[in-house]
Amino acid sequence: MIRLHDLHKSYKTHFGERVVLRGINCTFHRGEKVGILGRNGAGKTTLLRLIAGVEYPTSGRVERRMTVSWPLGFAGAMHYSITGADNARFIARIYGKPIAETVEQVESFAELGEYYRMPVRTYSSGMIMRLGFALSLAIEFDCYLVDEAIAVGDARFGERARQALADRRENGTLLLVSHVPGLVRKFCTSAAVLRDGRLIRYDKVDEAIAAYEAG
Amino acid sequence: MTAAEASDPGPQHSLRAALRVQLRVIGALTLRELGTRFGRDNLGYLWLFLEPAMLGGAIGLLHKLTGHAMPGGLDPGTFFVIGYVPFYLLRSVVNRAPSVISANQSLLYHRHVTLLDIVIARNLLEGGAAFGAMLGFLLFFGLVAGEWPHEPAKIVLGLAFMLLLAHGLGMLVAVGSVYADLFDRVTHLLTYLSMPLTGAFYMVFWLPTELQRMALWIPTVHCFELVRDGQFGARVPTHYDIVYVLGWIAALNLLGMAGLRRARRHLVV
Repeated sequence: MIRLHDLHKSYKTHFGERVVLRGINCTFHRGEKVGILGRNGAGKTTLLRLIAGVEYPTSGRVERRMTVSWPLGFAGAMHYSITGADNARFIARIYGKPIAETVEQVESFAELGEYYRMPVRTYSSGMIMRLGFALSLAIEFDCYLVDEAIAVGDARFGERARQALADRRENGTLLLVSHVPGLVRKFCTSAAVLRDGRLIRYDKVDEAIAAYEAG
Repeated sequence: MTAAEASDPGPQHSLRAALRVQLRVIGALTLRELGTRFGRDNLGYLWLFLEPAMLGGAIGLLHKLTGHAMPGGLDPGTFFVIGYVPFYLLRSVVNRAPSVISANQSLLYHRHVTLLDIVIARNLLEGGAAFGAMLGFLLFFGLVAGEWPHEPAKIVLGLAFMLLLAHGLGMLVAVGSVYADLFDRVTHLLTYLSMPLTGAFYMVFWLPTELQRMALWIPTVHCFELVRDGQFGARVPTHYDIVYVLGWIAALNLLGMAGLRRARRHLVV
């Protein structure tokens, strides 16, 4: 279970305080697959980062009663000056996974060829995405936080990523943020709409999509 | 330990489990830092020790060659090298502090990596470099000039105190850098300007009594004097107060850790 207690988040900018989230209360239970729909700039990514613990709320609290992944789909979780294989080693070390096995697993999923042993900064953006996704699959989490970025990238990899995620979500929990209703319909069993810094949950995906498109 | 335990050291977990996670994270960070800084090319990790050693060696050699007499009849090469190495440690820890957070922000995607882990990993490496370089020099002086340290433990202690002082100060600078760019701009200038004050290249007993008292307010002065006591023993008078340095270490480290905790909440990753 993940419970969000009155989450507020604002950022200081040159133009003053920008409020992104204005009091979010929500509970995600184990096994749920929830799509979070929101327009660009609605704060989807911010919300995901708070749930992941990458950033902290201005006020309020995130209660995690299961293991939660870092936000997948971002390039953020890796280091650019070391090789893909070293990134895999690093991830294996901090999460206490067998190193050689993890390195192998990431290699076979990311399909980077010899680039796997070269610094990540030499990669194309598609390769970075593949590595990032492969890294996140190497660790078992109860709950996966997924940004819509998995929808991009080349079609073949996109399909494999979706397949891998589908395998995981069988018994796992999934929170997917997106501005694409189709993606939410494909992956999720319920949905929520993020608008004006507030989150409204719907039991049925179609209800959420209707509300999202009406907004 | 499973990934489940690792990624969520919640309140139900014991302090020992949390400590184990932290040690593992710091170990991973240190290895990664080694990889990013030195890579696997040519001399690779050896640069860790060679960098301070070359600088220290150059300074020592210059003073040896200019050959001015030292008070107390000390060897100028030795004197400047054992002063330079701890200073190098202080300077590199503090100078890197403004960028330590921004350079490693991507690591914070992994929730159980804390800012403290990142700073500790980096400073452990700096400490390792300084200890390695110092060991190399002491062996060199011993084997070549027959000048072995009087009490090696005091040298180790002095260097360790310097590391802890620098670590505390570095944490505070790192916290400052989260809130203001200013720190990035002025840190190098200040470490440069502070060089003559730190006590790296003078001894307290050279100074008139009034100045001695002032010099001993500066915590780093005690570290250098401790190192010199370890190297030269009773050949020269040294002045230091271990309790005084420990007080500074405790204060800087507690403030630094509290600051990092606070900064983490405001950090935009």
